[in-house]
Amino acid sequence: MLHNRVKELRARFGFSQGELAERVGVTRQTIGFIEKGEFSPSITLSLKIAREFEIKVDELFWLEGEISK
Amino acid sequence: MKKDIRVQYPLWQMAFIVLFGFMAFSIIGVSKEFNHNSEGFSYSLEFNPLESIFLLGALFISLIAGLLFVRKIYSHNKQHPDQKLSMWQIKPIEFLEQDEGMTHITRRAAQKVYTFFVWALPFFAVTYMVFELPRFWVIIGILFLALMQYLIYYLEIRKHLREDEE
Repeated sequence: MLHNRVKELRARFGFSQGELAERVGVTRQTIGFIEKGEFSPSITLSLKIAREFEIKVDELFWLEGEISK
Repeated sequence: MKKDIRVQYPLWQMAFIVLFGFMAFSIIGVSKEFNHNSEGFSYSLEFNPLESIFLLGALFISLIAGLLFVRKIYSHNKQHPDQKLSMWQIKPIEFLEQDEGMTHITRRAAQKVYTFFVWALPFFAVTYMVFELPRFWVIIGILFLALMQYLIYYLEIRKHLREDEE
């Protein structure tokens, strides 16, 4: 399973789900699915989200059992 | 999102299927007479009061529902000019494919419907082969399959959208 820090970083940057969705060109629901770990985003979308939070993709997403960077 | 016509479309289809069931009941139950002679042929249908009420009622409600549905499609196209829908498009209207997340839940729902048909179609085929059922029950069986298809699809999509809202 893929874990992520999207919710945490979104709160830190003060984005709503809708605002982040608009910035990366997806629906608000998709951001919700990612935050809940219900859906693993494509590399393209992962890069776009990571760019918004000014971090690397592996700092945003990591596999179960691995430690977040 | 829940009010989106693409999410609600299975509910519309289920309603139309039920109405079609009433029409099938009425039409199959009528007395039919077919005369063919050297001068030509004639075909007559005789409805009893109950069947007439079912048929006319179902036709009337279908017409009203059809008009409301067309209006919904029209207002959707006005609100989402980049995601226009057509009553006659080949791709099912209920498919949510605005982005990869929505495509993901559409795929999950479609997989469940596919799994249902994998089991239901052989079951119905064997049932119709073994039992000599009246034509009405064959039609009801087909309508049941169609109804279940939309019900399974709708419940799966709604589950994901509701979880997202929580």
